[in-house]
Amino acid sequence: MPFTLKPGQGVLYMKIGNHADEPLHEIIARKTREIEEAGFSFWGYGGNTCHPERMVQPFARSYEQRGGVIYLCMEPMDSKHHADPIRADEFSADGIVWEGVHPAINVLGSRFALVIKNLREERFDLPLAKTKVALGNSMGLSGTRYIRGRVDKACLEITEQTGVAAAEEPPARIGYLANLVAPYAVYVRNRD
Amino acid sequence: MSDQKEIDLRAAINAISDVVQNRPRPIRNFDQIYMKAGDMVLQSELVARWADEKRLAFIGDGDAISVCAAYLHKRGILNYGPSQIVVFDFDERICGAVTRFADKEELGQLRAELYNCLDPFTCDTRFDCFYTNPPWGASNDGESVKVFVQRGMEATRYTGEGMVVMADDEELEWTKRVLANVQEFVVRSGFFVQKMMPQLHQYHLDDAPNLRSCNVIIKALPVERALEASVAITSPDRLAHFYGRDNPPRVKYVRERKRLEYGKAHDDEYSFELWE
Repeated sequence: MPFTLKPGQGVLYMKIGNHADEPLHEIIARKTREIEEAGFSFWGYGGNTCHPERMVQPFARSYEQRGGVIYLCMEPMDSKHHADPIRADEFSADGIVWEGVHPAINVLGSRFALVIKNLREERFDLPLAKTKVALGNSMGLSGTRYIRGRVDKACLEITEQTGVAAAEEPPARIGYLANLVAPYAVYVRNRD
Repeated sequence: MSDQKEIDLRAAINAISDVVQNRPRPIRNFDQIYMKAGDMVLQSELVARWADEKRLAFIGDGDAISVCAAYLHKRGILNYGPSQIVVFDFDERICGAVTRFADKEELGQLRAELYNCLDPFTCDTRFDCFYTNPPWGASNDGESVKVFVQRGMEATRYTGEGMVVMADDEELEWTKRVLANVQEFVVRSGFFVQKMMPQLHQYHLDDAPNLRSCNVIIKALPVERALEASVAITSPDRLAHFYGRDNPPRVKYVRERKRLEYGKAHDDEYSFELWE
C-alpha cells in the first residue's frame, strides 16, 4: 500500500545528499546501524529554517498532541555540501542543559540534529504546492514558494489530499522517511 | 530641526561598517536578527532626523541603530541627531558593545542599561521618543511587539512619539494581523499612528530571506492622563509564545563572557603552523 499523507498532517521536509565528505548511501547505512544500536539516532543539519527550539520542537509537539506521527520526508539530491566532519560530543534540547551524545551515534559537521527512529527507504511524491509553512516568520506561505533558492528544509502542514499531483509545480520526490521522536530536535556541539 | 546637508554616502557606509564590526553575533533564540547594512544606513539617517535634539530611548537594539545615529552625528556625516540616547537591552553583550563604542568614539550622548522589558520600567529620565524593533510576534498575533511598545510608551510617560519596526509582507497573513493588533493597542493606549513606511528593511534571515519590515511612527494624543506605575509583565497569555510558538521567555539576562581580546579573533578559533 503506497504511503499517503493526510490534510492537516505535519511533515518535516528536507533535501538530503552527501554531507561532510560522506556519500548519502553511507550516511543512510550508518544511521540505520545507529538506530539499531542506540534505539534512535541524530540526523544532523544546519540553518534556522528548522531551528530546534523555535521551529521543530513546537511544531512536532503540536501535531503529536493531536495524535499524529511526525514524519521526516527526505528528498535525495546531488549535493556537494562541504562541512568539516567534526563529531558532536554533546547535545541539548534547550541550549542550557547539555548531555553526552550516545557513543554509537555520530553526528558530523552540524549545529543541530533531528531525533529519528524507523528510518527507511520510501518513494513517493510530495506536492509542495499542497503544503504550507506551519509556523515561524514564513507561516502560511505555500511550500512551493518557500522551498526555493537556499531554503532546503521546512516544517510543513499538508493542506490538501496528496496523491493527485499539483498541476503546475513538480512534486518533491521523497526517497527516505523517518519518524521524529521526542525531543524532536536538539542543539549539538563539540567541546574539544 | 537643524538644516540638512548633502550626505557623503561613502563616509556614511564606512561609519556603519565600524558599528557592524563592533556588534556581538546575534542569538537567534531571542529573535536577534540583524538588519542588512544598506538598510541600516537609511534607517539610521531617518532615526537621527526624526529624533533630532530629542531624548531617545531604544527598547532593545541588537541592530545598533542607536550607535549608528549617534556616530553619524558625531562624525559630522549628519548635522542632526538625538541629544541623548539610552539603549535598554537584556543582552549584556549588546550593552557592553554600546558602552565600549561610545567610550572609544567619545559619544557622550549615548549609553546603555541592562534591562529586561518584562520588568517594570523605572528609568528616571523622561524621554521624548522611543524606538523598538522587537520580536515580531508571528506566533502570538503581535503580543511580544506590544510588550516592547508598552515599555517605550512608558519611557515617554505617554506623552511622546515612537518608531516601531514590524514585519510587513504582502504574502504573509500574520504580518497583517500583527500590524492591525498593534495599531489597535497603541490607539487604546492613547497614541495614534502618525505615519507608516511600508516594506523598507531586509534582514540576515535565512528562514525568510525576503521578509521585510516597516516603520510605524506613533504619537501620543494631546490629552492629560493619570500615570500608573510601571509593573512587571507576568501574564501567561502575553508570554506563552513570546519568542515563537510555545517559547516563553526563560532567560532574564544574556550575560557577557568578558574577554581581554574583545573584538579580535578568539585564540580558540585557530592555531599556528610555524616555518620549520
